[in-house]
Amino acid sequence: MSIETLKLCAILIALAPLGGAILVGALGRPALRGRSHWLSILGVAVAFVCSLIVFGVVRGAHGEQTSAMISVYDWIASGSGSWFKVEFLIDPLAAIMLVTVTGISLLVVIYSRDYMRDHGEPVRGYERFFAYLALFVFSMCMLVQGGNFLLLYLGWEAVGLCSYLLIGFYYQRPAAAAAAKKAFIVNRVGDFGFGLGILLIYITFRTLDYGRVFQMVEAGVTASGDPLETGRLTAISLLLLCGACGKSAQLPLHVWLPDAMEGPSPVSALIHAATMVTAGVYMVARCGVMFTGSPTAMAVVAVLGAVTALFAATIAVTQTDMKRILAYSTISQLGYMFLGLGVYAAGSAIFHLFTHAFFKALLFLAAGSVMHAMGGIIDIRRFSGLRKILPWTFFTFVLGAIALAGVPLTSGFFSKDEIIHHAFTHHWALGLIGLLTAVLTAFYTFRMVFVAFFGTERVPEGVHPHESGRWMLVPLFLLGIGAVFAGYFGFPGHNFQHFLEPVFHDTFVARSPVPHGAEPAGFWAQYGLMFVSGALALLAILVAYALYVRQPWIPDTIRSSAGRLYTTLLHKYYADEAYDASVVKPLRTGGKVCVGLDDYVVDGLIFVVTAIPRGLAYVLRVLQQGAIQSYAMAMAIGFAVIMWVVLLSTGGCG
Amino acid sequence: MGLSDYLSKLAPELILLVGGCAVLLIGVTRSARPTSIASFASLIVVFLALIATFSAGAPDATASLPGLLFTSLVYYTRLSALGVGLLILLVNWYQAVGEERGEYMAMVLFSLLGILLTASANDLLVLFFAIELVSVPTYVLIGLSRPEHRAPEAAVKYFFLGAMAAALLAYGLSFLYGVAGTTTMHQVVDGVIRSNFVFGSSMGIYAVIGLLFVFAGLAFKVAAVPFHVYAPDVYEGAASPVTGLLGFVPKLAGFVALVKVFGMLSWELPLAIQWLVWIVAAATMTVGNVLALLQQNAKRILAYSSIAHTGYMLIALLVGPVAGGGPMHDGVAALLFYVTVYGAMNLGAFALLAAFSVRGKPAETLSDLAGLGKQAPLAALAFAICVFSLMGFPPTAGFLGKVYIFSSAFSLDSAHSFHGPLVVLAVIGVVNSAIGAAYYLRLVAAVYISRDEQEVVPTGGTPVRLGLALCSIAMLFFFVWPSGLVDRAQANADVVLHGQRVATVVTTASSAGPRPSDGTGAVVFLADSDVRSASDSRDE
Repeated sequence: MSIETLKLCAILIALAPLGGAILVGALGRPALRGRSHWLSILGVAVAFVCSLIVFGVVRGAHGEQTSAMISVYDWIASGSGSWFKVEFLIDPLAAIMLVTVTGISLLVVIYSRDYMRDHGEPVRGYERFFAYLALFVFSMCMLVQGGNFLLLYLGWEAVGLCSYLLIGFYYQRPAAAAAAKKAFIVNRVGDFGFGLGILLIYITFRTLDYGRVFQMVEAGVTASGDPLETGRLTAISLLLLCGACGKSAQLPLHVWLPDAMEGPSPVSALIHAATMVTAGVYMVARCGVMFTGSPTAMAVVAVLGAVTALFAATIAVTQTDMKRILAYSTISQLGYMFLGLGVYAAGSAIFHLFTHAFFKALLFLAAGSVMHAMGGIIDIRRFSGLRKILPWTFFTFVLGAIALAGVPLTSGFFSKDEIIHHAFTHHWALGLIGLLTAVLTAFYTFRMVFVAFFGTERVPEGVHPHESGRWMLVPLFLLGIGAVFAGYFGFPGHNFQHFLEPVFHDTFVARSPVPHGAEPAGFWAQYGLMFVSGALALLAILVAYALYVRQPWIPDTIRSSAGRLYTTLLHKYYADEAYDASVVKPLRTGGKVCVGLDDYVVDGLIFVVTAIPRGLAYVLRVLQQGAIQSYAMAMAIGFAVIMWVVLLSTGGCG
Repeated sequence: MGLSDYLSKLAPELILLVGGCAVLLIGVTRSARPTSIASFASLIVVFLALIATFSAGAPDATASLPGLLFTSLVYYTRLSALGVGLLILLVNWYQAVGEERGEYMAMVLFSLLGILLTASANDLLVLFFAIELVSVPTYVLIGLSRPEHRAPEAAVKYFFLGAMAAALLAYGLSFLYGVAGTTTMHQVVDGVIRSNFVFGSSMGIYAVIGLLFVFAGLAFKVAAVPFHVYAPDVYEGAASPVTGLLGFVPKLAGFVALVKVFGMLSWELPLAIQWLVWIVAAATMTVGNVLALLQQNAKRILAYSSIAHTGYMLIALLVGPVAGGGPMHDGVAALLFYVTVYGAMNLGAFALLAAFSVRGKPAETLSDLAGLGKQAPLAALAFAICVFSLMGFPPTAGFLGKVYIFSSAFSLDSAHSFHGPLVVLAVIGVVNSAIGAAYYLRLVAAVYISRDEQEVVPTGGTPVRLGLALCSIAMLFFFVWPSGLVDRAQANADVVLHGQRVATVVTTASSAGPRPSDGTGAVVFLADSDVRSASDSRDE
């Protein structure tokens, strides 16, 4: 495989979904109508196949040659002969991300074919949905394989835009419109920091090229040759992290993600698994040179991840909306990934990203299938015992749930355990938080399973539940297989991490304060934690079983006796209320003040200012009967003034 | 100089000329009702001319004919004029509602021919006639554009004021001739420099006066303050498709001519002229934007926006070429890129007005546009793209154009005496484009979020809609791939600096050599004149 093949593939990965999006968007309504999905599926499928080829090429490469910068064309000149290029960086990290993103997206698009039949808006919903979906995939692919910070930023913003469009898909519903705005604005806050970070990179290194920036960081110099201060590196890293917090829904910018479920279920699956929230994790891993160069930044990443993981998991325990529970679990799992990055285990973090993509997409799509059957209702208090009614959905949902809960030998178990393991070697507190979160995860996941699928058969009134069609079930099965078995890419033998080794070797691996592989070699030291966390997960599931199937009255008692704690959790630690009071209300007030100023002060000023030319025009109109003469006069006077000024300034009319 | 020589070097111009005459003949054979034959024929003519341009490729700056010199500026201008010309023809497809369509289309072709000749003129007289060849047909176009009395009124206004501008231009050129003793452009420069472009000396002042008049005459073509007064009335009076044409054709010709005149002097302009351009640029931007804020009529808004855009382009003109600086540091490249992009985006905005009518009349005011977003979503989207491009908003070519123009203002060496003023000018430009956003957003808002909706009737027909679509697609396309245009525009910097000199360098051992590539060439001269004026004042 030559570099030319790689180039072709990289271009196709970007262009195929984009082409699909444009064609569906342009032709969709008049020409394609109900067949719009084909173009989107085709576009994403081409991207997936190309991703597999890229993956194969990278896997087949040896030694130094695992990364290639593929320059497509010069885009914007940045002065003195240098250009911002459209270029793609293909390396193991990009290859894994591409395969994950396009693979999951492909299944989601296929699933949407049936799902959107019933859930699309009556007017143009179907075409619009598929156009946005393909655009989303394009944006994410650009983000992942872009070869410089400008393209990263572009993809970053495009992903934000697509999420806005898709979360607000049912734009007539006020809740959906509000959620879309919330997602966009909260992301803007993060992106502001991200943009500043990129500007700081440009100011420091005078280039936005990954290769040159990373080289300079590694060498510890700035563009002018001065030594690079750690403080500046920390500043850059933290600003970039700001953006990652927004996209990957970490504290304190997590508030948009739970609301994002207002979009159609496939969109949630896409956002949570493949195309959006993973962007932050990817970016931190990509910029590892910078983050690992600053111990402060790494500590922030680790603590942020750990705290978010625990924080979100506790909220998930009390929620009753299936998709909302899943949303908080996503925040929590992303916390794990950041924890992994923060403790220099980037390989494990990406591994968790990979496995998480499978089971989270599966869970959301299965939840979508439940919603499909329940006529749009997704509150687990409203139905129970669905196990009989929706057997296949139940089966696949449980596959996802055991992976999320970390039941031994499933994919989530391996990847999560690795992160906790690394966290322990770094600091016991981080490890403990990881373990505690794992227990909570197993508990709330199976609370959801038991409440919704077990117990007496009960469905909301007026709903005639039916199992979903083939188009929806096939992706569910494929994802189920992935959810259970994807872990074996990384265990035993750490193949996954070894594949990523060339990317992280000089950064996360070499700079780790606790050398990788230097931990005690005994069986228990290596695998002991695995047994502990596996046992804890099973125990938590048993507790959930006991509480929600055997003794359903206990949760109620706990709820009423826990009082304050329960309501705090139910209200998600009052994060939304806090934002409302501290940001939204003051801004609203400020906005009203501005409108007032605009209406009275500015408009008044404009009226006064424009009164002068108006008055002048009136006078002129009286003096001059024909318009042309006055125009000619204006020109002549203007020219005379110019002439006078110029000649005066050149030294008199001599 | 054989016939084949003319054919090979002048192919696009000849095609336009012959084609224009042929279309004129089609007009003579009147049929009972207007048909699209003339429109179609002229489309083919322009297309053929474009093919001829491509097949001839970029001239090597040594090819010449009597009075003409073929530099890469000619190549770029041909591409730009003919490329946008295709769009113009599409938008004007049904223009001249009456029987005069053949004449109308022929005039468009002659106007385009004028632009091409402006770019290749190497003689002051040829330059003058080429500029007038651009202008005269536009008077006719405005007059023919619609049956209402407003159109002939606008045509007459434009004609009289245009005649005045032509007089200024001719007068200025005669001064330059008087100083240099020749009308051949590359010899003018030698003459001027020899007889002294040293201002303060007795001959120098006439060269300044000449330049001043020439600038004034051309400032009218590009609608710069204070020669902008006609624009709003004329734009409003003419039918929308013609207005779209007026935003591009005279502007391109005027700026190409300015580039040629300034390039003739290797951009070694006296400080007073530099300040003049500075003041005119600042005033043009500000006047255009501020007055646009007050308008309710979409065409008047776009007319004032056209004035404001001239101001931005004047910044780039003032910077001039910096060889090897890349488009971010090259005023001429930025200017040429921008004028083309402006032509397309402005045309797109007018194409929307041409494509719909409200209450039996073509859409004109902001309230006429209400409801378009719902009733014609695709057209509204294309319009929005063009307006966002005018605003300078990514992802459109207008954004890159503004980036190039404003960044070019920073390209002079910081030791250069005009570095500071240029930076200030760029800041004024940025502030102005922020002001401009206000009325552009009003246009978009009128289309999408106005309350009392009108019933808009699509009357433009397919070619107009196609033109609108292509304009908006071009805006997106040149954002993604600007180098397609920029590279060609950039080739001109070297030509302006060296090309004409290269052709004539043998004839004179000129005192001022080609401008050095680091952009400090002007310093030499300016320092010279500064010293001179300083010593003059000491003499007094």
